[in-house]
Amino acid sequence: MNTTTDILFSQDTAQTDLKIKIIGIGGAGTNAVDGLKLDNLGDVRLAAINTDAQALNQSPISEKLVIGRSVTRGLGAGGEVEIGKAAAESDRDGIARLIGDVDLIIMVVGLGGGTGSAAAAVVAEVAAKTNALVLAFATLPFSFEGARRKRIAEESVGELRQLVHGLIPLPNDVLLQEGEEDTSVLNAFAVADRWIGRGVNSLCAMLLKTGLINQDFSSLRSVFQDRGGKTIFGTGTASGGDYVKDALEELFICPLLHLGDRPAQLDRILVNVIGGADLGIAKVNEIMTQVTKRFGSREDIVFGAVIDEGRSQSLELCILGKAEMDTFVLPDAADPVATKSKRAVSTGLGLETEISLDTRAPRPVHTSKLRKKLPDANQDEFTFVDNEDQRGYFDKTDRNDYNDEDLDVPTFMRRGIKIKIK
Amino acid sequence: MSQSRVVAAVEIGTSKIAVLLGEIIGDTGLNIIGHCVKPSKGVKKGEITDLDKASDCVHAAILQAEVNAKTRVDEVYLSQTGRHLIGNFHVGSSNISSPDGIVRRADLDAAKEDAKRRSLPRDRTYIHHIQNPYTLDGRPVDNPLSKEGRQLQVGYWSVHGDSEAVSDSLRVIRGIDLDVSDMIISSIASGVVLLEESEKENGALVIDMGGGTTDYVLYRKGYIVKTGVVPVGGDHITNDLSIGLRVARKSAEEFKIKNGRAYYESEDRDAKVWLFGDLTIGDREYPLAAITKIIEARVSEVFDIIKEQLESAEVFEPSEIASGVVLTGGSSQLNGIDEAAQRRFGLDARVSEGPTDVAEELRVPEYSTTLGLLHYALTGQEENQQTHKPSGLLRRLTGLFN
Repeated sequence: MNTTTDILFSQDTAQTDLKIKIIGIGGAGTNAVDGLKLDNLGDVRLAAINTDAQALNQSPISEKLVIGRSVTRGLGAGGEVEIGKAAAESDRDGIARLIGDVDLIIMVVGLGGGTGSAAAAVVAEVAAKTNALVLAFATLPFSFEGARRKRIAEESVGELRQLVHGLIPLPNDVLLQEGEEDTSVLNAFAVADRWIGRGVNSLCAMLLKTGLINQDFSSLRSVFQDRGGKTIFGTGTASGGDYVKDALEELFICPLLHLGDRPAQLDRILVNVIGGADLGIAKVNEIMTQVTKRFGSREDIVFGAVIDEGRSQSLELCILGKAEMDTFVLPDAADPVATKSKRAVSTGLGLETEISLDTRAPRPVHTSKLRKKLPDANQDEFTFVDNEDQRGYFDKTDRNDYNDEDLDVPTFMRRGIKIKIK
Repeated sequence: MSQSRVVAAVEIGTSKIAVLLGEIIGDTGLNIIGHCVKPSKGVKKGEITDLDKASDCVHAAILQAEVNAKTRVDEVYLSQTGRHLIGNFHVGSSNISSPDGIVRRADLDAAKEDAKRRSLPRDRTYIHHIQNPYTLDGRPVDNPLSKEGRQLQVGYWSVHGDSEAVSDSLRVIRGIDLDVSDMIISSIASGVVLLEESEKENGALVIDMGGGTTDYVLYRKGYIVKTGVVPVGGDHITNDLSIGLRVARKSAEEFKIKNGRAYYESEDRDAKVWLFGDLTIGDREYPLAAITKIIEARVSEVFDIIKEQLESAEVFEPSEIASGVVLTGGSSQLNGIDEAAQRRFGLDARVSEGPTDVAEELRVPEYSTTLGLLHYALTGQEENQQTHKPSGLLRRLTGLFN
C-alpha cells in the first residue's frame, strides 16, 4: 500500500494544450450550454448551432452558427425533423469550420424536436471525420410530451450511437425523479441542464485540472476507442457533514445508474473525484474502496482525483464508462464459467489503477468481465443499465406497447409521479 | 376396469409452473391425485422466451406430480396466456329455412358456422369460440329450437393467438412425449372454478393477476362476454419498485410483499420502512409513501386498462356486473388490492378464497387456473355450450413439429 502514495501525490500536470469544444445543438442544447458554469476551466470553448437565428442571438455563447438559412430563413425547424435535416445538410461546411481542430468534442442536444434530433447526426458525422473524440449528452423527452417526440428521439439515439464514441442519454422521465417533490415541468427541464452541467464539468475537470491522481486524455480515449455500444454515466455530489459518505450514497442511488437489476457487460470505467483542498489521501482511499466494492473489480476501474481550490467540504463523484449490452445473457448461478473464472484481484490501490492506465494496451470494449464475476460477489446489488429505455428487467423482451406507451416502463415514470426515497 | 384416464392440467406461468393431476373416471368422477408448483424459468410476460429453460421446469414439475401421484399422465390440458391472445366478437346469422318458420338444428348450425367462418391470417390460430346467447328476430332466447321466427343470430367471443407462441407451449409438452388434448385460456379456466353459477348469472369480472400477465374474464347473464390479457403482472410491480427505490430486485420483491399496498394513503407520508430490518451495514430507511405510490400507479393502471377495454367493447355496465370483481392470481395477495379494484371499477371487489369444493391446500391462487383446466377436462368444453374448439386445431398445430 505504501508504494501507492508516491503516485497519489504525483504532481504531473494534465495536458494543458488539450483542446475541448462543447457544442450545443438546437434550442434545448444551446440552452443547456448557455447555462454551463465551468468552474475555473479556461481552455474549454463553447459553441452553439441552431436553425433559429433569433434564439441563437440571445445566447451569450461567442461561437454561433445558424444553419439552413436557405431552408428556414433563420426561423427554426418547427419540430420537423426533415427541415432540421435539410438545414444541417446545407451547412456542412459551416459545421466543419465551427468544429475546427480540437481533441475532444462534447455535443449537447435535446432530442425529440426538429433541429436537435436531425442536426445532431450531421454534426456527429462531420465530427467523426476529424481526429477528435466525440461524446454526446442527449436529453430524451418526457413521456407526457407525446409518442411522436419520443419516437423521433429514439431514432436519433440509434443513429447517434453509431456516429459518436460515447452517447449519454438522459431520459427526462428519470431525471425528474431527482428534483424536489413539487418540481414543475419548467424546472424539470432545468434539472436536465443541471445534469449535463455536472457531467461536462466533471469531464473537463478530470482532463484539465491537476490531480491527486491524474486521468489523462488517453485513458478517456481508451475507454471510448470504439463507436457504438452504450455509455454509463452517473454522478453524486454532497457537501458539508459527512460529505464522503453522502456523495457515495448519492452516486450509488443515481437514477441513471440504477434502473433495475440488469447486469451489463462492462468494460473499463472512469471514476473521477473532485474535491476541495481538504480532500486527503485517506478520503480518496475510502472512496476508492467503496466504489470498487460496489462497481466491480479494481482492474476495471480507472480512478482520477482532482482538487478544485474553490471547493471545501464538498465532493463530486462522476463515473463514465462503456457497456456492451447486445450480447447480454442472464447470469445463471449454475453457469460453470461463472464459478471458474474468478480472477486474481490486484491489491495495490492507486498503483494498480495507474499501471493499468499507463502500460496496458487498450482492450476492446466488448468483452465482459462483470458478468463472469457476478456470482462470486454480491455484485448483483448494483448493476448497470441501459439508461435510455428504462425497462429494467424487461429490457430483453419485446416492447409492451399500449396506446403508444411501453407498459414495461414503470408507470410512475410515465406519469411523472415523483418518488422521494429519502 | 372402468374407463379412467389421468389428466395433467398444466399452467406455464411467468413466475411458476403449476401442475395438477386429475384422475377422471367415466364421465363424472374426478379425483385430484397429485399436484406440484415449481418456480418458472424462461417465461416473461406469459410468453416463453427460452424454450429449453421453460421445458426443463415444466418437465420437472410434471414428473414430480407423477411421482407424488405414483402414476403416469395420459394427456395434458394446457392453459394459455400472453399479450398475443386477442379476442373478437362475431355475430353469425341464418334465415330460418323451413316454410313453417320453426327453428331446427340445421338453422342453429348454420348461424354458428356463419359466426365462426371468419378466417385468420396464417400466423394466427383460434383457441376458443365462446358462444353467447341466441337471438331470434332480435329477441334473446336461451334455446331457440322449435321456436318460431325468421332470423336466428348467435354471437361468439372468439379468442385467437399467435401460432408461433401457441406452438411453443405445445412443443414444451411434446418434449416429454405427452399430447395436449385441449387448451384453455387462463382467465376462463380461473373464472369457471372461482365463480358460483349465480355469480356468473349476476355478472362478475374475474381478474387473475399473475407474475407477468393479468388475465380477465367478464361474465354477464351467465355468458362469457369478454376476455383479455394485460401483459403486466407482479413482475412489473417489482421492477417498478427496483427502479424507483434503486434497490435490487430481491429487495424490491421483499418490500412489495412485506410493506406493499395497492394504494397510497396520506398516513404513508411520514412512515418509514427498513430495507433489511436487521440493523446490518447497508440497511437503510425508505419512506413507505415511495413504495405505495409506485405500486398504486402500476395497479391502478392495470385496472384502468381493463376498464377501458371493457368500455370500448361496450360491455361495462356496472348494474350487469352485480357480483363485482373477483381477484385471484399471485398478485391478488398484494395488500389492499381489493380496495384498489373497488375504487377503479366502482364495483364491489373481493379476493377469491378459492373454490370451496376442493382440499384446502388447493384453494390457493396458484391452483385456480389448473383446477379450471381439470373442470374442462371433466365436463368437456361443449357441455355447457359456451366454448367450442374447431376439431383439427391441435392436429394442425402439433403437425408443425414433424
